[in-house]
Amino acid sequence: MTIASMRGVVKRYGSYVALDSIDLDIHAGEIIGLLGPNGAGKTTLIGTLTGMRPFDHGTVELFGQSKHPFSHENKEKIGLVTQEITIFEELTAKENLQFFAGVYGLKGEVRKQKVREVLEFVGLSDQANKLPTKFSGGMKRRLNIACALTHSPSFLIMDEPTVGIDPQSRNYILEGVKRLRDRGTTILYTTHYIEEIEAIASRVIIMDQGQIIKEGTPADLIQTIQHEEKVSFEVTDPERIPEGSLEKIAGVRRVLTAGNDITVISDAGSGNLDRMLSIIKEHTGVLGIQTERPNLEDVFFTLTGRQLRDKGEEQ
Amino acid sequence: MRVLSTVKFTLLRMLRNFIVLLLLLIVPIVLISLFSLILSGAVTDTGEPYLKQPAVSLVLCFQLFGGSTVMYMIHSELFTEHRARMQMLPISLTMYAFSIMLCGVVYSVMLGVILMTFTQFVLGLIWEHWLWTIYLITLMAILSSVVYLVFMFAVKVYKTAERLSEVYGIGFILLAGLFFPMPDHAFFRFMGSYGNPLTLSTIAIHEMSMNNTSKAWFAANILLAATIILFLVMMVVGRRRFMRDRV
Repeated sequence: MTIASMRGVVKRYGSYVALDSIDLDIHAGEIIGLLGPNGAGKTTLIGTLTGMRPFDHGTVELFGQSKHPFSHENKEKIGLVTQEITIFEELTAKENLQFFAGVYGLKGEVRKQKVREVLEFVGLSDQANKLPTKFSGGMKRRLNIACALTHSPSFLIMDEPTVGIDPQSRNYILEGVKRLRDRGTTILYTTHYIEEIEAIASRVIIMDQGQIIKEGTPADLIQTIQHEEKVSFEVTDPERIPEGSLEKIAGVRRVLTAGNDITVISDAGSGNLDRMLSIIKEHTGVLGIQTERPNLEDVFFTLTGRQLRDKGEEQ
Repeated sequence: MRVLSTVKFTLLRMLRNFIVLLLLLIVPIVLISLFSLILSGAVTDTGEPYLKQPAVSLVLCFQLFGGSTVMYMIHSELFTEHRARMQMLPISLTMYAFSIMLCGVVYSVMLGVILMTFTQFVLGLIWEHWLWTIYLITLMAILSSVVYLVFMFAVKVYKTAERLSEVYGIGFILLAGLFFPMPDHAFFRFMGSYGNPLTLSTIAIHEMSMNNTSKAWFAANILLAATIILFLVMMVVGRRRFMRDRV
């Protein structure tokens, strides 16, 4: 079942094209990882998909409705976790959730029960009656997520939900996303953290400069660029290995030596690690071996020639 | 009407904003108490306590600044940080904005009534026409919210709207001649009487206490008319701002 789809969506700000002919389908039960550098158009895509931003061309369909996709009826099925922390600092964690639950029409005991459940889900039960001003960044992020869950949305949009938080809170959030998927929630997750996408996404959409430049499962995307393998050996004395002996192995493309490290680049799937190791061990001692597999960062780099994250950007 | 479920929380948020409480409640209480100490027991030729005039002025003066909470909340929720989340909620944002405005008015009137209660039961000042005074405080509170929102909707930069609202508040206090007498000029005479919400409401309260009902209603109705006109202006500029910011 298709939850949301976009066909030929174009969004311009003056002469700047923020979204360029976007075609996208989101199916029930998926976790879509929307990956792209800052300014790629991820937030604009979310804005147009949810009706927050009008678009110049194309169609958007939500829950099978293309005529009035942004109706209140459809909004009740969607949860939005905003990039900014949008909780009310003057209300306690519980009151924040009661506010949003009330807006979605939950009343009385049902509302109390739902608020309790969601607080438990994000691990803030013991902080229920505290004001967020006393919370850490990670706790605020979790409350921010909780606010989008009070009405049990079937489609959850998470716009960079882990920006600026500690690894522990990040892991907690990622585990929560997986648990939501297990409950049947469809999730659109935007980030520029590769490791998050690799950990949770069933399908990845890579965006750059307002365009979807590639989509598929993480494994498929990596496979498309996996033309070579890289193995690094740390050895005791690299000069004792006869020159050209490694290059002669079938599939080996290049051998690079730097200090005690020898890096061998060979064709993907050539399966020559055993042979390389036996040649090296014949002449010198091996201190360590490291294999490098391409990741989605490499996919992005191959597709655009640029890094996903700027140097110095927060980790 | 799911917006109704938000009212309790909007009021809670206003009540927990201690800086606003300090500025709009504690400061006037301290000032009135100081005046009371200075003017203790002194009465005018007509037998009215000297404290009455500054007390009325202070209660009404602080209503000029009551719109700041409404302006801040509507700006942060519908135009900046909270905007995306609010737009995704299945409620009418126009109704939600009105609910914030109404809460702001109720909150502002409540602060005014607390000041009246304090001056009557602690300082012994008699407010003859409670309902009439509360009506004028309400008009001032609505006008303040409307004016602040007009500023916020009409200018792009929020800081500019804040400065304009300060000009509105302090400007009318100055024009009312509360700090020092204004020059004897037609403009200042007008702005010190019928062109100034602060003086209009003061006149309405004073005339009612003198049993000049028609004069009191006349001043109050000018205030009401100005509020209605500015409310319509607010609707127009607000709509324009919503449409512009949606892009």
